[in-house]
Amino acid sequence: MSADLAAAQALEGGPLLLGKNDNTSLTKSLLAHVWARPDRGWLLSFLIALSGSGALLLAITITLARGIGTWGNNIPVAWAFDIINFVWWIGIGHAGTLISAILFLFQQQWRTAINRFAEAMTIFAVMCAALFPGLHTGRPWFAYFMFPYPSDLQMWPQFKSPLVWDVFAVSTYFTVSVLFWYVGLIPDLASLRDASQSKVQRTVYGIFSLGWRGSGRHWSNYKVAYLLLAGLSTPLVVSVHTIVSFDFAVSLLPGWHTTIFPPYFVAGAIFSGFAMVMSWLVPARHFLGLKHVVTLRHLEAMNKLILVTGMVVSYGYLMEHFIAWYSGNRYEEFLFFNTRALGPYRGIYWLMMFCNVVTPHLFWFKRMRTSIPVMFVVSILVNVGMWCERFVIIVISLHRDFLPGSWGMYAPTIVDFTLLAGTIGFFSTCFLLFLKFLPAVAVSEVKELNEELHHHPAPVTVVTAA
Amino acid sequence: MSTETGPQGRTYVLGLFASGDALVAACRKVRERGFSDVDTHSPYPLHGGDEALGLKRSVVPKVALGAALTGMFGGMGMMVWMNGLSWPLNVGGRPPVSPLAYVPITFETTVLLTALSIFVGLLILMRLPQPYHAVFELEAFRSAASDGFWLSVAQAPGSDGQEAARALQSLGATQVSVVEESVA
Repeated sequence: MSADLAAAQALEGGPLLLGKNDNTSLTKSLLAHVWARPDRGWLLSFLIALSGSGALLLAITITLARGIGTWGNNIPVAWAFDIINFVWWIGIGHAGTLISAILFLFQQQWRTAINRFAEAMTIFAVMCAALFPGLHTGRPWFAYFMFPYPSDLQMWPQFKSPLVWDVFAVSTYFTVSVLFWYVGLIPDLASLRDASQSKVQRTVYGIFSLGWRGSGRHWSNYKVAYLLLAGLSTPLVVSVHTIVSFDFAVSLLPGWHTTIFPPYFVAGAIFSGFAMVMSWLVPARHFLGLKHVVTLRHLEAMNKLILVTGMVVSYGYLMEHFIAWYSGNRYEEFLFFNTRALGPYRGIYWLMMFCNVVTPHLFWFKRMRTSIPVMFVVSILVNVGMWCERFVIIVISLHRDFLPGSWGMYAPTIVDFTLLAGTIGFFSTCFLLFLKFLPAVAVSEVKELNEELHHHPAPVTVVTAA
Repeated sequence: MSTETGPQGRTYVLGLFASGDALVAACRKVRERGFSDVDTHSPYPLHGGDEALGLKRSVVPKVALGAALTGMFGGMGMMVWMNGLSWPLNVGGRPPVSPLAYVPITFETTVLLTALSIFVGLLILMRLPQPYHAVFELEAFRSAASDGFWLSVAQAPGSDGQEAARALQSLGATQVSVVEESVA
């Protein structure tokens, strides 16, 4: 190996695939967890997650039966847990699209091992997110009012409102994410169908794989369609959180009326989404036996991106505070330097600052970036921090109204907490089912990558067999 | 083999090759020998597979472009008509037709329609879902989804496929089988 090549390899990081793999062994090892009987760990996690989903159902029922008076929302804090959770969940979803679409367009080969996983996360996170605005309307059975349909009220939606933009953005995002995920799954579903041992499995996977036979004529269209869907998802993911940030930025409230919101929200979304991917990936690669495909190099790359997006978010915080001072607007200055940092909710503000601004800097050190316990803890902290960020933006901005006479406080109720915990349970239920019944790794893409690495090597990527 | 009367299915000759590159090479040669209805079956897309099959550029981008334009003009047109013409809506004194405020939804309808058309268009182009295909008559063919590189040559109904089978054998197929499409 020449010196240049060695230097290039050092820059590239560790191997993308560990050990000697061929198509047979990859198919076997990557699908093994689907055929294996669920172990106790999975069953226990599933039971916990399922009870979380049950709690969610209960909280939704209470909300529907008794109304949103069961929540802590009030005037002035009319938006609270409902919108915090919505923004938090939808932000988490963004990492999946980023990994699967943007990194695909940039031909980042390391994405292959984790894209399926992250895309599934996107779908479940958007499902959790979409629940909240529906409940927040108070009468979700009229949710169809939000769509443009010819009604005998002779009314159309108000298309100049960011809230209506949100309806289109979130529903488009969900639809496109599902299509992208499913198109990517078809070859792997076929591979599950053909490896099935029982007739039931073969029939079920057979239905979902649509009769895929790996035909060259199919691949020819398939590759183009996948590339185009990736190309579409890339601006889409940026648009979604941009539009979510417009919900705030277009209003006149100090703390919301900020031009930096769109890029700062998108960065925050990716930041929290990557953290959520890590929170799941670290245990999953261990329990599903995926360590040869999801290597330390992948985890390290993810941690680097958490560091980068964390710093973009920090820059957003800095700029918000700077503009509050520089604009000379007394209300904004009061909000940023008094209400947030010193007000009654200062604990949440400082927790946000600690989690989002301080902790990612651990990842400057290679030892931290490659330490499994450290990355797991940091990923949880970032998730907490990003939830706090939305609390800071929404509740803290609202609770100090323009006139001190209309100031108020907000306290969540048990229903609020149950809804939040319940969506986490529902998300986990979906995710555990996904991990059990579908390949957690894009098998056909990994095989293609393996082929490229060994037979058509790119100039930089060199893989040593461990 | 098939002596009974009634409709007869096409004959498929299936050959297994050792690698993707071998499959691509064999595919090119078998087409040069005059077999026209040839297809490759592989667990992932093959390098040079499109050229070996003599495929034209995919029409998926054209479908996508048509859908994108429809979504764009349709979305903008919908909002201009609904808020500007059908029921002029005055919100805070802004003009009823405010194209700038319609940009986000126009973008979303463009993406939505494009993605849906790509998906539906892809299924139509691939003629999937397809509940039955003759290649699955051969149980060993199922390796095409995991590690097998198969070449299929379709022959007219009634053909015994021996000529194609010999061709595949001479091109290095490690296993050659002839299957017949079942016609219900």
